[in-house]
Formats: sequence, C-alpha cells, structure tokens
Amino acid sequence: MRAAPVLLASVVGFAALEAAVFHTGLYPWILSPDSSTGRVETVIRNERERPKIGPQVLGIGDSRMLLLPRLSNQRTPQTGYTFATIATPGASTRSWYYMLRDTDPTAKLYRAIVMAVESYDDADKWGDEADNDADLNYNIASLRLSDLWEYSRSYDSPKQQWKAARGILLKGLVYKRDLEDLLLHPVSRFRYAQLSRRDSANWLYGYDGPPDTLLAFRIDWEAKTVMAPPDANHDVVDGLKTRLLLPLPPETGDQSRYMKYWLGKIQERYRGSSTRLIFLRLPRGGFVRPDQPRFNPHSSVRDLAAQPNVTLMDEHLFDSLEKPELFHDEMHLNGPGMNLFSYMITDEVSRILGLPR
Amino acid sequence: MLFNTPQFFLFLFVTLGLFYVSPKPWRRWILLIASYFFYMSWNWRFAPLLLSLTAIDYVAAIWMERVETPRRRKLFLILSLAANLGFLGFFKYYNFLAGMLAEVLRHDAHAFALSIVLPLGISFHTFQSMSYVVDVYRGEQKAIRNPVDYALFIAFFPQLVAGPIVRAREFFENYYRWMPPITEERLRGALWILLGLAKKMVLADQFAQIADSYFQNLAAHPGAPAAWSGVGAFAMQIFFDFSGYTDMAIGMALLLGFHFPTNFRRPYLAFSITDFWHRWHISLSRWLRDYLYIPLGGNRHGPLMTYRNLMFTMLLGGLWHGASWNFVIWGGYHGALLGLERVFGRKHFQEPPHWLIYPFRAAITFVLVCIGWVFFRAATLPDSVYVIQQMFSWHGKGILIPAWLGCVLAVSLVIALFEEKTEWIERLARGPAWGYVAAVVTLLFSVELIGVTEKAVPFVYFQF
Repeated sequence: MRAAPVLLASVVGFAALEAAVFHTGLYPWILSPDSSTGRVETVIRNERERPKIGPQVLGIGDSRMLLLPRLSNQRTPQTGYTFATIATPGASTRSWYYMLRDTDPTAKLYRAIVMAVESYDDADKWGDEADNDADLNYNIASLRLSDLWEYSRSYDSPKQQWKAARGILLKGLVYKRDLEDLLLHPVSRFRYAQLSRRDSANWLYGYDGPPDTLLAFRIDWEAKTVMAPPDANHDVVDGLKTRLLLPLPPETGDQSRYMKYWLGKIQERYRGSSTRLIFLRLPRGGFVRPDQPRFNPHSSVRDLAAQPNVTLMDEHLFDSLEKPELFHDEMHLNGPGMNLFSYMITDEVSRILGLPR
Repeated sequence: MLFNTPQFFLFLFVTLGLFYVSPKPWRRWILLIASYFFYMSWNWRFAPLLLSLTAIDYVAAIWMERVETPRRRKLFLILSLAANLGFLGFFKYYNFLAGMLAEVLRHDAHAFALSIVLPLGISFHTFQSMSYVVDVYRGEQKAIRNPVDYALFIAFFPQLVAGPIVRAREFFENYYRWMPPITEERLRGALWILLGLAKKMVLADQFAQIADSYFQNLAAHPGAPAAWSGVGAFAMQIFFDFSGYTDMAIGMALLLGFHFPTNFRRPYLAFSITDFWHRWHISLSRWLRDYLYIPLGGNRHGPLMTYRNLMFTMLLGGLWHGASWNFVIWGGYHGALLGLERVFGRKHFQEPPHWLIYPFRAAITFVLVCIGWVFFRAATLPDSVYVIQQMFSWHGKGILIPAWLGCVLAVSLVIALFEEKTEWIERLARGPAWGYVAAVVTLLFSVELIGVTEKAVPFVYFQF
C-alpha cells in the first residue's frame, strides 16, 4: 500500500460524500423551513410544484413585495393572468437571480416577472450590499460548482469572496448551524420539514397581514424625533428612527454598480424570451422623509428600460399608499395596505401586458 | 500563520513538495528557510532575535568544548544562559516585575511599564536552546558544528512556537540518520495532522466559546453548575487545543521524516497529580525534571528538601507559562498537591490503583486539576477566588455546555479510553486502506460540520 493513493482516496471519499449530501437535494430536503436557506427553498419548491394553467405572472422581491396572489387571482377571469410570488424576506437582488434560475429553469415559464425595487435611483445604503453576508445562506442550495468564480467574485471584499468560494466548494460549512439544530432536535425537525412541504404553500397563500397601523405615531422632522404612543412597540419606534431620522448614506455609486450587475444578469437571462420584466418602485413607508435621494437618470432600472422586454411602472404609482394607516412598521404594509397594493399591481400588470392571446 | 488556517496548509504543502523534490544537500536549507518564513509571517521584526539567540548558543557550545578548564566552560554556560534568560526575562517578565516595583514604590501600576510584544514561541525555543547548552556543558551532547543544522534545531517550524520541547540528542539522532518516512509513517503523519486539526477546531474552539462566555462575564453566571461547566469547558479547551497542536506538530515532523516525542498521554485519565504530570505536557515536565528539579537536588536530600525542590520547580513551571501571580499560584498549587501525594506515600500515587477504584481516583484528580485551571484561566486573583467559591456554592442553575457538545465529548472520551489500550492511529495506518479512508473522511466531516470555521482561533499555548 502506498501513501499517496490512500490519501488521495481519502480526499476523494470526503468530496464525494460531501457532494452526495449537500450538493444534491438530500440535505435541503430536511432544512429548517425557518432558516434563510429553508425559506428560499420553500418558496421555490412551492412555486415549482404549483400547477400552472394559463399565462403566469411571478412577483419577486424582499419582505416589502407584499403581493397577495390570493387577491390578484380573484381577478383572473377578467385579466386572464394567474399571479404567484417568490418574494422572500431579506432576499437581495443577487438572490433573485439564483431564485429565478431555479424557479424558471428554461426562462419561458412566465408571461411577466414583477420585480419590486426600493428606488429607481439606486440610492446608496449604509453598508455595501455587494458584501451582504447573508446572501450566501439564501443562495447556497441553488449554487453550483460552475458558479464558483462568478458568485465569489461578485462580493467586494476578499474576505467575503473567500467565504463564498469556500461555501460553494464545501456547502456543509454554510449548513453548519442548521445541522447543529437538526442534531439537537432531529424528530421535531423531520416533522416540521414534512409539515412545511405539505402545507407551507397554503400558509403563504392565505397570509393576510397584520391589522396594526402607524396612525398614533407622529414625526417631528425639525426636532428629528418620533412621537409614539406609550404602548408602542419598541422595534417599530427604533425602526422609524433608523429609517427616517438618520442622515442619508453618502453617494458612492456602489448600489448602482451592484444593481446594474445583477439586474443586468436577470435581463440577459430573459433576453429573447417572451417573458416581460416589469419593475415597480415600492411604497416608501407610512411616513416619507423630506430629503429623498438625488434623481439618477442612469440608474440600473432606467438604463434597463431601454431594453425591449423591460417595462418600468410609474415611479409614483404607489405614492397613494404611503400613509400611516396602511403601514404597520417603518416599511411594511399592513393588511389593508397589502390588499390595495396587490390589486394595484394586478391592474397595472394586466394593463401593461394586455389581454392574453 | 496559524496551524488551523488554509494559508498554513498551503505553506506545508509547498514545503513538503520542495523538500522531497530537492537534492538531499538542499533539504536542510529548505527546512530552515521555510521555518524562518513561518516565523517571520507572524512578525518579521523578531527574526534577528531568534537568529542572535541561535548564534549565541551555537558559539557558546563550541567554545565550551574547546576550552579545557571547567571554570571557563562554566563561564560560557553562564553567558549563554544569561543571554537566553535575559531575552526571555525582558520580553516576558519585564512588565510583571515593573508592575510589582511600581506597587512597592506606590507609583501608578503602569509607571515603569513598556509596550512589549512577546516574540512568538520564545518560552519554547529558549528552553530548547538552554537544554542543548546544558547538555553540551555536561558532556552529554557534542556541540553542533554546522550552523545551519543548529539553526534548524531551534527554528524547526513544526515545534517552534509551542513545542514539544525536543532534546538536542533526540533531534540530531534523527537528523543525522535521516531516512525518508515509510508509507505507514506518512499515513500516520497525515492522520496525526488531521486528528490535531479536529481536536482544535471541533472540540477546543467549541469549548473555548463556552469558557470565554463564562470567564468574560462571571457576574452573569452565578452558581455552581455554571462555574463547573465554565471551568470544565476550559479544562477541555486547553487540553484539546494544546494536544491538538502537538498532534499536528508530531504529524508534520513525521511527514518530514522526524520523530517527535509524545507530549500528552490522555492526562484526564490520570489517577493522581503525580500521574497527571507524567501525562500532561510531558516534554516540559521532563525539561523541568532534568534541568531544574534534579540539579536542585531532586529527592536525594531527604523529604523536606524534596518538597522544597518540588515546590520551587512547580512555581517556576507556573511562572514559565506567563507573567502573573495566577500562574505562580497555579504552579504552587500543583507543587503542594505533588508534595501532599509524597507525604501520603509515593508508591500509592505512582502505581495505578485497582480497576474498581480507578474511576474514582481519576474523577478526584480531574476535579483537583480543574480547580488549578481556574487560576490559569481567570483574569485576576480575585476572579479565581470568586470562581472557586461559586464551584462549591451548591446553588444556581444553568449548565452552559449544550447537549450536543456534551455528546461529542462523551464520544471523545470513549475514543480516548479505547485508545489507551489500542493505539488506533498506528493500527489504522497499518491496516486496510478502507479503514484509513473512513477515518479521514470522518475527521474531515467533523471539522467541516462541527468545527469553528468562521474565524481561525489562535492556539492557547501560542501566547506562552
């Protein structure tokens, strides 16, 4: 027996087992449905398994893309379109690309994809979104070895690039926390994962949002204070302060670069297909800060609008929803707000697409 | 460049490759350059320090052999020891002594303090160097004539920063009769490295998180269960950390054709404190015995002198670990326990008890060792006293060690007990390939899935 073949066989054995467990659907099958990866995998699986009859419209975005297909589809007889959504709390534009790749492998399934963006101006954020640490957790199940170079290079800092490359090669490193939880409560995890596979589509479809409003809140823009009722939720108060009273982040152009790259990739994927990409600007909140980001004529979405399969909804279409009575926290619509938002999207998308042929 | 980083593994891979593809005469140079590169990757400014200590001891040993009068020989020995202890004392103990002086003179605690960075592995390489000079002085070792050989003995990267402290005789016997490792040794070496990595990342670093959360915020975790779990976690951390490092060092040396002595033999299975010191950091215990305890008189001058020598040796052994009263007390505590065991009968504590009694004796020894670890880990003396009070307070709730880590520990204990009799690494390296492959795959999986991989946690003994 020689040492080198045995050592090589050991490494190959490890790589093969790692690949069998984590690079196939084996481990994602028992992921915690509440984890970042679990949430993404749940919405993708539900959407892939959903029977698709007639022309389809898919919504995508983060937690603010509160399109309720339950309401939109009440109008299917009139509009001719069936709506669905894979919007996931915390999902970034980079995540959308991989989510769409898994949901729509042929890039032909949908008549339109509605993408909800925060701003048409690519307003910069505090922190570099290209270095968003959580993205790897959202995307890990979708990533392939062939994504290694491009995905890891899409991060700005070498530390994050290394982390992403390492994660794609050894996915177990990314699933580690989920696995610890699985080892602690294996029986309840199996039950919960099974329950989620069976029922989560209905849970999400039936969601009707919280009834709370911001009517009791006031913002003093001069004094830079939030006036809240004594029984107000501290998280909501803190959220309002952070979102409305902190100075705007400096303009670096990072966000524009990031958005152009990932939205460009999505557009490229649907180039030549019959799928129309429709962008909407999300309602900004129950209170809108007076200092808005500068108008950017060459932002990612405005540049993309020149492409034949891309449409921008009117930037101010949802301004009418920006009222305290329609939001339950600093940026999320409440139940009534979600209803109005869903109907407005349905009508506008149907208008843009016209009646199906 | 820590042993538990990808950069280090790249370095090791390149060094092994260069070592084996080069002609034989170049190999010593390759190892020396690699060792200095490794040392300088931490802080290049200290390379001249390592080089000068090497040069001083190299020259002193040659001169000791050349001169004929014992007086002159002694002079060179003293000069060499003074240089080694001078450097060690300055870098490691200056601020400790300056603090004491400031206290005596009622000055501000930092009045005489200097901003000193402790050179990596200084405690280890100075002890190794001093043992060589003393051995040459005693005539037990011939002075090494080739400076490259001697420089390599001091700087050899697998053991440069945290041992094991290798005697010159052991190193050069191996070095001058160097043979390429046979297949079994290569397999064993690779498995040692992987086992050490798993001990460090899977066990030590996990226990470190618990120990840190306890010791960094003592007030938040009152009561005995928290104290025992915090102290127990540290006991596990320091063992798996240091023995993991040593396993990696032994494995790397083996891949390069060198045989290092064992540094740990399952110390938490010791049935007495005497037995513990035969199992824990064996190379340091041996150094202290041969270069301190025996020269002081050992046990040759009656019981009282033996106790004195034991206590002195252990106090200095404690101080070697770090410049603080906590380490001195830790050493003194072990010295006192060793003395007590001698009072109650040396034979009783050196020979294993009946197997029925063994578990109780091992448990008592483990508890005594854990009490000692409190001084080792706590930031201050009052903290140590507080933790010991909490350990025996019989109140409180909340064990800090999660169930899954307890399970991993239980499995490790079973493996350790099993290994006590079977030496499974040797068996795996000699056995069928499938067994070896299964062991490597298991270890790699445990590092990947259970190990702390978010950041490379430094080894505890790197600070000494």
